[in-house]
Amino acid sequence: MIPQLPLALRWPRRQRFEHFHPGANAAALAAARMLAETPGAPWIYLHGPAGAGRSHLLLAACQAASAAGRRAQYLPLAAIADRAAAIRGVAGGELLALDDLGAIAGDRAAEHALFDLYNQTRAEGGALLFAADAPPAQLGLELPDLRSRLGACTQFALKPLDDAERREVLRAQAAARGIELDDAVLDWLFARYARDMGALLDLLDRLDQASLAAQRRVTVPFLREWLRGAGP
Amino acid sequence: MSDLWRRCLERLESELSTEELHTWLMPLQAREDGEGLQLYAPNPYTLDAVRERYLGRIQTLLGQLGGDHLGVRLEVGSSSPRPAPGKPAAAGRAATPAAAEAPAPAFAHNLDPHYTFETFVEGKSNQLGKAAAMQVAMNPGRAYNPLLLYGGTGLGKTHLMHAAGNLMRERDPGCKVLYLRSEQFVGAMIEALRTKSMDEFKRRFRSVDALLIDDIQFFAGKDTTQEEFFHTFNALFESKQQIILTCDRYPKEVDKLEPRLKSRLGWGLSVAIEPPDFETRAAILLAKAQEKGVAVSEDVAMLLAKRIRSNVRDLEGALNTLAARANFYGRPITTAFAEETLRDLLATHAQAVTVPNIQKTVADYYQVRLQDLLSKRRVRSLARPRQIAMALSKELTEHSLPEIGEAFGGRDHTTVLHACRTIRKLCEADARMRQDWEQLIRILTG
Repeated sequence: MIPQLPLALRWPRRQRFEHFHPGANAAALAAARMLAETPGAPWIYLHGPAGAGRSHLLLAACQAASAAGRRAQYLPLAAIADRAAAIRGVAGGELLALDDLGAIAGDRAAEHALFDLYNQTRAEGGALLFAADAPPAQLGLELPDLRSRLGACTQFALKPLDDAERREVLRAQAAARGIELDDAVLDWLFARYARDMGALLDLLDRLDQASLAAQRRVTVPFLREWLRGAGP
Repeated sequence: MSDLWRRCLERLESELSTEELHTWLMPLQAREDGEGLQLYAPNPYTLDAVRERYLGRIQTLLGQLGGDHLGVRLEVGSSSPRPAPGKPAAAGRAATPAAAEAPAPAFAHNLDPHYTFETFVEGKSNQLGKAAAMQVAMNPGRAYNPLLLYGGTGLGKTHLMHAAGNLMRERDPGCKVLYLRSEQFVGAMIEALRTKSMDEFKRRFRSVDALLIDDIQFFAGKDTTQEEFFHTFNALFESKQQIILTCDRYPKEVDKLEPRLKSRLGWGLSVAIEPPDFETRAAILLAKAQEKGVAVSEDVAMLLAKRIRSNVRDLEGALNTLAARANFYGRPITTAFAEETLRDLLATHAQAVTVPNIQKTVADYYQVRLQDLLSKRRVRSLARPRQIAMALSKELTEHSLPEIGEAFGGRDHTTVLHACRTIRKLCEADARMRQDWEQLIRILTG
């Protein structure tokens, strides 16, 4: 028999557990790790504002589960048009991560599909991992059967990193690429890039290449020049 | 590893969005042989989507990567069959062709062994249901047929249903008990119609000693399903095979359920499962904590039971959340720790229930105007709902008697106290009143 394709290779490189800076969310990180790696662990419902790391934890859990030989799937509900079909489509996996759950509120067919998925996954011994911007009771779901089931999950309110923690993450990520970011550069970056860590890390990648190509250290003048010229 | 499939995916990765890729293509498992690729979809929905949208492209890519002689085949299944322990081709999987084609297994029980009468926490709200389910389990087909348990979500209906099935099997190991969620019945029927195997479908459901179907409110509006269920019901009923059903409300109140089916459902015994009262909620929490090996004191159980009234699942969620945090931080679960950890969660439960919210809900429920409910008029049609609204305010909020009196058009706190006492007495004496009270609590905290 030909072994299964190692999907772990294909999950995004950046959203992994080892790159998740816990901040105030260490307990959620530990629980998500356990869910990804241990069959039978309690199901999790994460909620919090955008940028708090919801999608990161979901993708990381899928990656870790795949690496452990479990069949994992990630479903970003807000980005999908036919949500009911997509939810019915993911049935049968061992770890299913459903992101942006609020997107199905009021969509009767999708809510019902998720209700079925929940029951089926429970019966088959799989695991579900949910993320949304609000706790189950405040999502505006129409199907009480679904709402109550979500309520039974272990819940974590994710808190976004504060500014000091963001600087720390950025500095560490830069260091991993051999770039030293001093406070002046960090101030400059934070002032111009609305504290979106994803965008900042993307920028860092390109900056890394630019500084290599130009054989120059990353300083504010270099940044300014690069962003004005060939920049991102 | 199928190298061919990996190269296919690499090409598709650059053509499709991440969402498409993760939703439809990543879940496929691949096996490669001399003739091409065998792709396995986890379920029929994925199969249809892949066939419709991507199969042509995959075929083209395969030709480019490996040669025109290669083909691609798609079916539901897995490249490495992984039967769940103790669940050989269980009834629930019957909707997939792969399972339908498998040789008929020995009768596959799908009862959850954790749901027994021993693990069921009894209280005033559910003792009738428990007694009835036990009766049925002791005398299947003879005590009450059908037994119908109805009530809101997360109150223990499914637990009782499995408990009855488990007890039947314990008393008679040869007893064939089949448990299905309503959508599994619907799915199995649609699949039988599609594959023209209705005879097999009928035989399967009519050959059991007990048929347990959960959440039959979801049959509403599905006429063909109701028709088939009606005939199954009759066949089982006539040969004294036990039927146990659950529903989220009294079946007569379910819209789009055929009258003749509704009337059949009333032939046996219908028992309401009510939301647990405070003592039962605390007892349930302690029982669940013990089952999970979580050290929870009575004080903590009482704190949660007081604040979370909606249903048992919310209690369980709170306990899980508490246990995960306590475990992670290595801290004991004290009331202070619980208050701190569950602040957000408890707030969402408290939020919905405010005095204005109660007043509005009660006015809607009794179809009186909010303005009249808060007025000084004392006609009986207003006075009773007003008393109920006051008693609910005392029961469901943290407000004091004077505060509640103030919110009801500046009444004295003794008026509120009198209302609370009156309603409590009425609830004890009058079943109708008790039903209204429970229903209102359910609406307000659900």
